[in-house]
Amino acid sequence: MTDLYQRKLAAARRQAWVEGYFINVLLLYYFLVGVLYLGLRFAGIEMGEWPQTKTVVLAFIPVSLVLTALWTRSPDSPGRAFIERTNDFLKPLRDDGNRSWWGTGSGIFLLLTLAVTVVMGWVMTEVNMYSLFSAQGMAGAQRIFAALFSPEFDIIGITLQAMVVTIFIALMATVIAVPVAFVTSFFTARNLMKGSAFQVGVYNVLRLIANFTRSIEPLIWAIIFSVWVGIGPFAGMLALMIHSVAALVKLYSEQIENVDTGPIEAIEATGANWVQVIWYAVVPQIVLPYLSFTIYRWDINIRMATIIGLVGGGGIGTLLIQYQGLAKWNEVGTMVLTIAVVVWIMDYLSARIREAIY
Amino acid sequence: MSSPILQIQELQKYYDNGVHALKNVSFDVREGEFLVVIGLSGSGKSTLLRCINRLVEPTSGAIRFRGEDLTTLSTGELRQRRRKIGMIFQHFNLVKRKSVLANVLSGRLGATGTWPSLMGRFSEEDRSRALERLQLVGLAEKADNRADELSGGQQQRVAIARTLMQDPEILLADEPVASLDPATSHSVMKYLREANQKWGKTIICNLHFLSLVREYGSRVIALKDGELVFQGSPDEIDEAWFRRIYGDDAVEVRIE
Repeated sequence: MTDLYQRKLAAARRQAWVEGYFINVLLLYYFLVGVLYLGLRFAGIEMGEWPQTKTVVLAFIPVSLVLTALWTRSPDSPGRAFIERTNDFLKPLRDDGNRSWWGTGSGIFLLLTLAVTVVMGWVMTEVNMYSLFSAQGMAGAQRIFAALFSPEFDIIGITLQAMVVTIFIALMATVIAVPVAFVTSFFTARNLMKGSAFQVGVYNVLRLIANFTRSIEPLIWAIIFSVWVGIGPFAGMLALMIHSVAALVKLYSEQIENVDTGPIEAIEATGANWVQVIWYAVVPQIVLPYLSFTIYRWDINIRMATIIGLVGGGGIGTLLIQYQGLAKWNEVGTMVLTIAVVVWIMDYLSARIREAIY
Repeated sequence: MSSPILQIQELQKYYDNGVHALKNVSFDVREGEFLVVIGLSGSGKSTLLRCINRLVEPTSGAIRFRGEDLTTLSTGELRQRRRKIGMIFQHFNLVKRKSVLANVLSGRLGATGTWPSLMGRFSEEDRSRALERLQLVGLAEKADNRADELSGGQQQRVAIARTLMQDPEILLADEPVASLDPATSHSVMKYLREANQKWGKTIICNLHFLSLVREYGSRVIALKDGELVFQGSPDEIDEAWFRRIYGDDAVEVRIE
């Protein structure tokens, strides 16, 4: 028993060293590069334009590796402190005295790193209070808000027409995506696809395609399709459709993976075939969540459809970007207002319907 | 008691994770008997029952149902034989969102074509038979309720009606009362006894409580670590056998 304990303890210590060292290296390297960036910026030099940047940044790697080897000897270094405080074997052995966490070496270092990060972020995103609140800035804000809040209702006709197109873009994208995703989801559910190597292969390939497709935003898809089929509602619909398929496949198949296997066994035991088992034991368990996800997806698609119009996806977004280009802010105000009202109504309806389903 | 309806011969089951769940298990089941399987959790009782209708695929050995080896059948043939072997489960395994009647009707799926069953088109005869089966378990007036509106004991009785819908010759019951309270347990066990004595179904039932075994079983087999260690009548399980089956530290808990 004690022997086992000693072995576990020794293993935990080794782990604290290896993982602690790794964490320390990353932290130190990040800290060094951050300080370099800030130093250069305050000297008025862009990091990318300084000729020695590459050399120094590369040199930091061996420097961090060597320094950290020394640093990690201290139980106070952040990596070891973190691992040792979260490991069940090492936790009771640690004695940090009565010091509060920000009094320890690792606490101070983490606070410094946090400070460097915030300052770096501030500099990098060009946060500028002056342009936000200067007289010129305020005048600009006044002009656009005044225009947006006094919408030009002469164009309400084409605005509503474009809005209807947007709603239908979302509708068509959803309507086409649902059956495709429905069928695909059975092939991307791990619990149904573990039978043979072939099934596992199909599962992995489809999952990979779906994950990749989903990781590309609809906005990017709209740009791709506006080149492929030309600017207009069709491009927007395709962009939303392909992204919806990928998103629904994930949501649907997770539902299938969560079904209760009891009814499946019971229906199999009656002598039912594969199709009957799916229809009687799986489908009743997934149909309501599917419906809920589908409505939610349509809701998302309407929001997205307004945005992808901006890059050539048709509907109200395309109209909006045209008037924005002409700086006709009163007309833009009409459109923004219309979008807000429609999105709000859809949001409300979708929430109510989904509530009613459950 | 007549000829064996089911013969289990040298049945072995290894799971993919290496667990040797059944070790060379052989026994006969005679037509019309109420055979109870006992043993600790993990002794292989559930695996044994699931091997009989091949919900779990046996590794080797034979399962002869009226002389025919079920382990060598194709999936199509297996589905035909499964119709004759009903099964009920510890957690009832009803389709919760469907009506009680629909659940009972699903017992007929093996005898219904794929297309009609997708459309939910069961014959008039099937429907009236389903109601009869519900009457047998005293739940005819609940036919239109959703399955999950019923209590645990009622759900298990619906599950019994569902297997009776198959007109099975054998009824497998995997811990049918393990998630029910004592009073409800007896009401479910009484329907199993009725299925056995009135309607002549052969029953193979996994049970935990020896008091239930003595009251309802006509014969007992015991598994320990996947091996068959006892065959005999319920009265033969004395203190010594009890310790052999359940271990030295075990104390019998009674359910009245």
